[in-house]
Amino acid sequence: MPNDQTDLSEENSIDRRRMLEAIGAGGVIAISGCLGGGDGGDGDDGGDGGDGGGGDGGDGGDGDQQTIQFLTMGVGDNIQEFFEENNAKFEEEYDCNLEFTSVTWDNAQQTVNNRVDGGEAPDVARWPARWIPQLVGKEALVPITDMMESDWGDRFYEGMAEGCMYQGEYYGAPWAASNKCFYYNKDVFEAAGLDPEDPQLDTWDDMLSAAQTIKSETDTPALGLPGADVISTASQYYHFHWSFGADLIDDDAQPVVNSEEAAQALGFYSDLHLEHGVTQSSPLSSDRQDIRQLFESGSLGMVIAHVYAGLNIDNSDADFDYGIVQVPKGPAGRFSLNTIDGVSIFAQTEVEDLAKDLLRFYFDEDRHFEYASNKGFMPTMEAVGERDYFQDSENWAPFIEAGQYARARPKLSNFNQFNNRMVQAIQEALGDQKSPQKALDDAQADLEEMMQ
Amino acid sequence: MGTVEEYTEPSADSRLERSANHVWQNRQAYLLIAPAAIFLLSVVGWPIFETFRLSLYRSPADSALETYVGFQHYVEILNDDFFLQLLWQTGRWVVVGVAGKTLLGLLIAVHLKGDIRGRKFFRTAFLIPWGIPYAISAVVFRWIEHPQYGYLNAILIKLGVIDQGIGILGNPELAWLGVVVADIWIGTPFMAIIFLAGLQSIPQELYEAAAIDGAEKWHQFRYITIPQLKSVILIATLLSTIWTFVSFDTIWTMTGGGPINTSATLVIWIYQVGLKNGNLGEGAAYSVIGFLFLLVFAVVYLRIYTRGGEKL
Repeated sequence: MPNDQTDLSEENSIDRRRMLEAIGAGGVIAISGCLGGGDGGDGDDGGDGGDGGGGDGGDGGDGDQQTIQFLTMGVGDNIQEFFEENNAKFEEEYDCNLEFTSVTWDNAQQTVNNRVDGGEAPDVARWPARWIPQLVGKEALVPITDMMESDWGDRFYEGMAEGCMYQGEYYGAPWAASNKCFYYNKDVFEAAGLDPEDPQLDTWDDMLSAAQTIKSETDTPALGLPGADVISTASQYYHFHWSFGADLIDDDAQPVVNSEEAAQALGFYSDLHLEHGVTQSSPLSSDRQDIRQLFESGSLGMVIAHVYAGLNIDNSDADFDYGIVQVPKGPAGRFSLNTIDGVSIFAQTEVEDLAKDLLRFYFDEDRHFEYASNKGFMPTMEAVGERDYFQDSENWAPFIEAGQYARARPKLSNFNQFNNRMVQAIQEALGDQKSPQKALDDAQADLEEMMQ
Repeated sequence: MGTVEEYTEPSADSRLERSANHVWQNRQAYLLIAPAAIFLLSVVGWPIFETFRLSLYRSPADSALETYVGFQHYVEILNDDFFLQLLWQTGRWVVVGVAGKTLLGLLIAVHLKGDIRGRKFFRTAFLIPWGIPYAISAVVFRWIEHPQYGYLNAILIKLGVIDQGIGILGNPELAWLGVVVADIWIGTPFMAIIFLAGLQSIPQELYEAAAIDGAEKWHQFRYITIPQLKSVILIATLLSTIWTFVSFDTIWTMTGGGPINTSATLVIWIYQVGLKNGNLGEGAAYSVIGFLFLLVFAVVYLRIYTRGGEKL
């Protein structure tokens, strides 16, 4: 019987070489497919408050009407209607077709790069301003310095406008901004015997002292500390890094991440978990979103977070009081990580004038107020930021005040790579795999090689 | 002798002529497969060529310029200590994952072949994990293993085994195991179904004859089931090895290759280097190396497979 089967199968057998060729080709496609996939971004500081939403594609050309493509990202339910209404108004006002697309943050950077590389760039895009250097390197953006240095541009906060400047030119206008403050759970403070109305959280040492009290008096984890393998881990850590007097790059854009101050900052950061044990369990498993959600559910004592953490709590059924103070200061001062989303015009556009009209349209004061208040981002126009809504709100006022401590990440064309290497160093220290100094020394060596 | 030489060394002209005749005689067949062949060349041949070409260039994401660097990326990769770590991590991921899926799949298939109550239900139920998108399964497992909200930790705390949640996916020593469990859960149904089909093709008479001769269940399994299933097992594990090697969704969703790159495999690193860090040339070089590994594995595997006279 086996012989019969062999004879039969011989006629129908697949040639071994062909099989190998097919497997080999399949392997390369599968692997090279990875190079064509979407970018698994973690959501950036300026954007992770949004959740992906679909875009409403336009109808394409219509007679003599011009068509303008507007790409944005992270349009959640809370802002979808805003864009739908205002895009329709713009089409009516300027007699044009507006093709609006929203992509998720996960796909955003790769989508933009693919469209630029493929000659299919949008006319206008709203995106994190830190991506500007990469696109300027590809000569993909139109400088709008003339607009930004006119009366129209003077309406923006100066620091935020500078967030869209690269190599002496403005490559975008600041669409929205976000910075950080320090949240604490008043109920947890009260349970620990701390004064919830006067929390005494001015310095990192104050914070550690409060955390130790919470640890000894309650079962609630005192402090949220992110350490997962995502970009936002570094975003949280940089508050410590800068406030201890360390820097990321020097004036010549060379890495300087392993100074003595940097080692002290990383040592303090990792000891919060390793020595003092005042964090949630397993920080290496937690990203920024995990600890924010832990705080929003009332299960955490303190956390560094955006304004929308408070807005989320207010809009939920959470039954606890919270307070917001400035991020604690270190030996060299206090910093609040500031992220700017910009809106830029692409060099491939054939409707540059219409694109500039779109910018003017969306930076109408009332329109900008509506966006910032609905979305939960800081306004970038001074006149909007001075409105009572922002000045008098318990949620917004600390963030407006934090503007004076704002500091942005350095503008580097390969910042993702830089940041990923810093995350690795943070993880090595937090995981007790290397001393903070050794982790930063190794990072410095790799970054020097990378930035040659 | 001279006559034999005439037959064994035909002239180039005659070979060409024979090939031309063959093509002409089968022109209809060639015409019919031409569209598919052209399509395959464009979607298979071009990516292979482009990946290799790109690997010879420095192609940063922040520039439209490509700089020819020859084999520099390959030299750097092969001299990098992390490459060895990456190979080790990829190897253990594939070996443990495929072994787990194969053993569990075989166990499930053997039991599903038996006359058990609810067999149809179980056959359907065991297929469910395979029908769920990998990324969704990975998210579910990430939550199961979550140190604060996860079921696994909640159960262990309830049982008094631990007093606070363990972050498996945040532990540099354990993270890869936390991911491989999810991968085994996802991939086992395929193996089980393939093995079940193989089991059902084994003639029942063999078992009846063995039972008459006094063979125990284990001996029947050892001396009838395994030899009869050999070809199915080899092909299924070959496919599973390739799929596990190129697996991306599960690892990326659960750990992103971390912590400290300890759960990264070659494919995760290709993505990290090529797209996250924006070094397309270096990422392409890793891709070519990964392809060569797969090719060598497939050749060796099939050589072993066909050594016993098996045909594909």
